[in-house]
Amino acid sequence: MAQAQEQNTNSPILTVSDLNLHYGEAQALKGINLDMARHQVTAFIGPSGCGKSTLLRCFNRMNDLVESARIGGSIRFNGEEVNNPATDVIALRRSIGMVFQQSNPFPKSIYENIVYGLRIAGVNDKATLDEAVERSLQSAAIWNEVKDRLNDSALGLSGGQAQRICIARAIAVNPEIILMDEPCSALDPISTLKIEELIEELKSKYTIVIVTHNMQQAARVSDVTAFFYLGELIEVGGTRKIFTNPEKKQTEDYITGRFG
Amino acid sequence: MAKKFIDKSRRNDRLAELLIRIGGIMVIISVVWILVMISRVALPLFYPPSAKMTATVQLPAALPAGKILAIGAEEGQQGAFVLDESGSFHFFKASDGSVAASIKTPAVPSGAARVVSAEYTGKSAYNLLWDNGAISSVAVAFASVKDAEGKVTLAQDVSSQDDLSFPPSGGVLQSSARRIEGKGAVRIDRLAGDHLRVTHQLVEKDLLENEKRTNTSTEIADPLPGRLTALTVDSKGHYLYAGTDNGWLLRWDVSEPGQVRLLDTVQASEERRAVTSLALVLGDMSVAVGDAKGTLSTWFPVTLAGTGEDKRLTRIHRLRPNHGTVSVIIPSPRDKTLFSGDGTEIHVDHMTSERNLLTIKPGAAMVQTALSPKGNTLTVLDSNRTMTVWKMDIPHPEISFGTLFTKVWYEGYDRPEYSWQSSAANDDFEPKMSLVPLVFGTIKATLCAMLFAVPLALLAALYTSQFMSPKLKGRVKPVVEIMAAIPSVVIGFLAGLWLAPLIDKSILTVFLTVVIVPVMLLVTIFFWKRIRTASPLQRITRGHEFVAMIPVVLIGIYCAYLLNGVAETTLFAGDFKQWLYSSLGVRYDQRNSIIIAIALGFAVIPIIFTIAEDAISNVPRNLTAASLALGASRWQTAWRVVLPSALPGVFSAVMIGFGRAIGETMIVLMATGNTPIMSWSLFNGLRSLSANIAVEIPEAPLDGSLYRVLFLSAVLLFVFTFIINTVAEALRQRFRKKYGRY
Amino acid sequence: MKRFWKTGEPYVLATGAALAIVLVMTLTLVITVMSNGLGYFWPRELVRFEMKDGSFALGQITQHEKNPVSGLRRLQLKVANRDVLGQDFRWIEEKDIASRSLPADAVLLERREHGNYFGFLKGVTAEGVTLTGATPQEQLHQALKLVAAKLDDTRAIKKQMSGLNHTAEQLRLKLLKLEYRGKEKNAAAIAALTADREKALAEFTSLNEKSSATLAGINLITAQFSDVSGGGKDIALTEIVALQSPNSMSFFAKCGAYLERVRELLLDDPRESNTEGGLFPAIFGTIMMVLLMSVFSLPFGVIAAIYLREYARDGWMTRMVRIAVNNLAGVPSIVYGVFGLGFFVYGLGGSIDSLFFPERLPTPTFGTGGILWSSLTLALLTVPVVIVATEESLASIPKGIREGSLALGATKFQTLTKILLPMATPGIMTGLILSMARAAGEVAPLMIVGVVKLAPTLPFDMNFPFFHMDRKFMHLGFHIYDVGFQSPNVEAAKPMVYVTTMLLLAIVIVASSVAIYLRNRMRGKYTTSTF
Repeated sequence: MAQAQEQNTNSPILTVSDLNLHYGEAQALKGINLDMARHQVTAFIGPSGCGKSTLLRCFNRMNDLVESARIGGSIRFNGEEVNNPATDVIALRRSIGMVFQQSNPFPKSIYENIVYGLRIAGVNDKATLDEAVERSLQSAAIWNEVKDRLNDSALGLSGGQAQRICIARAIAVNPEIILMDEPCSALDPISTLKIEELIEELKSKYTIVIVTHNMQQAARVSDVTAFFYLGELIEVGGTRKIFTNPEKKQTEDYITGRFG
Repeated sequence: MAKKFIDKSRRNDRLAELLIRIGGIMVIISVVWILVMISRVALPLFYPPSAKMTATVQLPAALPAGKILAIGAEEGQQGAFVLDESGSFHFFKASDGSVAASIKTPAVPSGAARVVSAEYTGKSAYNLLWDNGAISSVAVAFASVKDAEGKVTLAQDVSSQDDLSFPPSGGVLQSSARRIEGKGAVRIDRLAGDHLRVTHQLVEKDLLENEKRTNTSTEIADPLPGRLTALTVDSKGHYLYAGTDNGWLLRWDVSEPGQVRLLDTVQASEERRAVTSLALVLGDMSVAVGDAKGTLSTWFPVTLAGTGEDKRLTRIHRLRPNHGTVSVIIPSPRDKTLFSGDGTEIHVDHMTSERNLLTIKPGAAMVQTALSPKGNTLTVLDSNRTMTVWKMDIPHPEISFGTLFTKVWYEGYDRPEYSWQSSAANDDFEPKMSLVPLVFGTIKATLCAMLFAVPLALLAALYTSQFMSPKLKGRVKPVVEIMAAIPSVVIGFLAGLWLAPLIDKSILTVFLTVVIVPVMLLVTIFFWKRIRTASPLQRITRGHEFVAMIPVVLIGIYCAYLLNGVAETTLFAGDFKQWLYSSLGVRYDQRNSIIIAIALGFAVIPIIFTIAEDAISNVPRNLTAASLALGASRWQTAWRVVLPSALPGVFSAVMIGFGRAIGETMIVLMATGNTPIMSWSLFNGLRSLSANIAVEIPEAPLDGSLYRVLFLSAVLLFVFTFIINTVAEALRQRFRKKYGRY
Repeated sequence: MKRFWKTGEPYVLATGAALAIVLVMTLTLVITVMSNGLGYFWPRELVRFEMKDGSFALGQITQHEKNPVSGLRRLQLKVANRDVLGQDFRWIEEKDIASRSLPADAVLLERREHGNYFGFLKGVTAEGVTLTGATPQEQLHQALKLVAAKLDDTRAIKKQMSGLNHTAEQLRLKLLKLEYRGKEKNAAAIAALTADREKALAEFTSLNEKSSATLAGINLITAQFSDVSGGGKDIALTEIVALQSPNSMSFFAKCGAYLERVRELLLDDPRESNTEGGLFPAIFGTIMMVLLMSVFSLPFGVIAAIYLREYARDGWMTRMVRIAVNNLAGVPSIVYGVFGLGFFVYGLGGSIDSLFFPERLPTPTFGTGGILWSSLTLALLTVPVVIVATEESLASIPKGIREGSLALGATKFQTLTKILLPMATPGIMTGLILSMARAAGEVAPLMIVGVVKLAPTLPFDMNFPFFHMDRKFMHLGFHIYDVGFQSPNVEAAKPMVYVTTMLLLAIVIVASSVAIYLRNRMRGKYTTSTF
């Protein structure tokens, strides 16, 4: 895999083409075409129900859990088709981590939360696990806050801390991409700030796709911004350009707060 | 990374999914399986009976050509026999007609040459009437043994039974003889000119064990209304029945030597057709009457309504008519089944259920017909001297839809009734398996319990969910849940051995409580505002009112208890039970429906309470808040806003409680006398379907009628509760959906 | 005042009264059982009455009441001495009493047969042993100790005998099997086994003689008593289970006697057709049946719940299944009993017998009620409880937890075992405990599929294979029904029934309380409140 990564450093890590998604009768995504470059932060913005979270959940096939979902078109991850039934979903999800809107630490200790992804892959070596815990907690900028209470329950943490634990948990398995589904929507401004700083740091190692409601946030953290409306990708481009000089009228209306 | 491990966990995942699916589906199948299983046991009740022809054989040529007086076959259908006029029994194989043995009747009466007729008296015994009027009795023992290679050997013996023999007597045309237990025997002779003679033979033994027989003969002097066409005597020799050519049926009491008393003369046939055949159904109570046009009916003596007279013969059951003249009626030796033949075919009917079980048609006109001692092998000799043997399988002749669910006129009853009495000491008992008294008992118990439980449970649920302080609610709800966990055997025990004697002693307390407690409550409520100002009650705030009600209820019950004696003396002359019996004709049972109402009610209160409370609490708070904000009081809000919204849930709570009460076994078993009577009186007990199963099934023989009827009642219970629960569940699901919780 | 009525406040009070009635009823039940059950073991005083007609009565006062016929006060006296007086209880009109006293030397004997004996000790006759005690009391205590020691010896012999009996029975069954398979073929083996069996039987007989001889010896040791009317009675010491003189006992001595009776209740076998003695076999049977039931109902219930909540697609099928499961909980328990009889006992049991034990037929082995079939029947009955509780606790786990695990590359099964099941454990435990409480109190189906009033052996013993699934067993709930409603002398049996009821009630209430506590704690844990 490392070899493939070398070869395609400049090619997009995720390529979405002609993606359609139906929930039963309703079409949630309509003909999406989108490329995502390596080591960049891509932000999906748009009003509620525009399909941005749905698209995000297509990347690691979390939509498999929704029985009524039907997917057409193609998503390529490092050149390999994600929607192919033969694709190894477990390997895919290990390479594409995810952080959810509501922080969801397991009712276990902080330590066990972080190593969960490793343990289920059969890693039980204490040294490896310890190393992974420290590395990912440090990457998630929470090491200093929790290093003395790794064996305490993760349920006792504050919302912001819990969310960073979830990010650390995702990092621990060394994914290539981290998907973030409105990670700050349930957090207070200070915690939000911390997460945003964290995203900035993580960018160097991981490709990040973030769904957000908050346009300032998108403007602050992302390199590329995609605007969705009613299941369609209206416009995609450099964040600066989208926010200052959008091509489409709808984008401009949304950004300037005329609707949404 | 550990690829092998991931592969393994992937394999595990697929395996686990498979196993869990199988396991889950298994559990679901088992639900259906229960119903299928119990129905499968009950279903054979309604299977049609069957008869299989197991052998037909031409009578062996070696037999003498004369008249055949009696025939028979052994239980294994391997061998048959005939009796000829010389008094010889010829035994032969049913497969090829080869004669195995011919045995001459032992102890032929002196001076007798030829047998005139043979009368089958049951248990393989025959009375032979000889040409000189003497009677001798013989018993046939006949069995087949099949060895390992399938070769059949027959074993046979003919023995004489001296206690049923009579000396010669002149002019006898037809004769019947019966043993009289411990006394001797009786013979009834038909003489020329339709004269009937009864002869009692009393046996006395002297000190040296020498027998002395004395014969007392009486001729029946009563004039007959027509020509005699049929005659029969019951197996104890007590009653003589006769039929005439113009349809009269007569009955005499011949039990006393030297005395004959005519009891009945009734017209037994419409259009005055000749009574052609008479036979007593097993048990000697009913007589089966067949007439010239094939009508078949059974009769027994009934006390006529309003008359203090003796019992009169009455037509009870009409069975399916034969095509032609009923020439022979053979009662089954095992149950109340009747085999009747009109010369061309044989009908098998059951008296109680009036079911036509089978119709068996031999090849040519029937000459002789016989039934084996177990009643499952039928042998017919036809006019071509061909003998045919049928093996019959009639598993549950006494069960029909009619006997289970409609009124049936049982032997010894004065009118058709619903009755449950599955067994008795004697074999010839007529089983009474009407499910109606049990269904009635179940419904009565359930209704009594619901009358008691529903108001209490629903009001308490309303109070708990709407008016009680949340903190107390957290304490009271577990108490009710624990109440639900109290085993029914505990409730039943207390109801039967503690409450029933208590109420028995002061029955009026119950009625007084029903009056006094509400009055006390009204008074308390009336003065509530003033009472509230009293110092210890000031602390009782909203949400705690029920605590103040507890002493009111207790004092009310105590007052009722104190007033019991006074009320009994002033209103009922000192003894309520006596008054009840003398003025209302109601008997008082100690374990009665009041006990059931309280005990069974106690068991369903927590069920109704919990579900109803859940439903009422699930009505969204904002609805309540809106109502309160408009200035409605808490009662108005609860009554006009919350309760209507929660109605489906409350209704389903009542339904589920109902379902629970229907099936409850131990409480009903222990708190009632389990008498299957149909009376709405509160002072009588009852027997429910479920308690009936518990009482009877340990005694029911495997695969017998009773066993299957009990399974049928289990099916009824299952289906009944299933319907109630499904409706309740559907209501509850809809209710939950409406308010979007869960 | 008018406003008070208009706002409907009186109706609120009326609903409160309904709740009050419900609570009063529950409390009445619990208090009745407790007051009747707890007092039974307390050594109550033996009161001696002198009647106005010059006769005497000695006994324990059980109740006072007004005579329903005459309206005068009367009291019920337990006079015991069933073999002398014919009845355990008698009524005494208070107007007939001349005087009452508490004789210090009155004794209460608990006997192996004929119930208790109330009277006065006169002397001890012991042949072949010398008693050094000065008073009859001392002699009696000394003799009782002696007899107890001897009885211990015979008990050891009895144990040996039961072992031999078991060996002989096993050999008999083996013989039956060999004979069934072919008498000629296995002639040698049959001869050997027959010899073994005869040896065991001979040993059994000799041991039996030995123990009979010992018993005959100690049976000669008797004590003489006289009742209150002066009638004498010779009672063999082996007949005496316990001896008390309640009138001269101190409070602590009474406490001791009370605890001793509680010990006997929990650990001893019943006597006198279950109306006296202990409840050990019934307690043991109940517990073993309930545990065995859990072995069946827990895995199946949990698997079915997991299937419904995690694997089954949410279609009409799942809805039907849910309704079916809820219905199953509402099907009358007697119907399960009938099913157990038809399917397990006669169906499965009959097939097992004809396949594996054909030589024993027509004596059934598994084709008759037994603890295995009872447990299976009750497992079926309680499986809905486990399913509903497990489903509820799985449903209360937020969706995000599942997604979090799956997004890390866990399989569904890993998510289930590592995250969901540990989180659902309190819920599953609640279901399990509730189902156990239900099973412990359920009687109707057991009456049909394997409970008996008196089981000669426990379903577990030290003989291979230790658990005897085919054996019948005793059960607390059935004990209540049987002793309270089927015993010939219900009045004398009542105290025992109250004690049994109290025990059963205590077990069920404690179990349910634990379950309710666990559930309430769990409810608040993962679900965020809506308001």
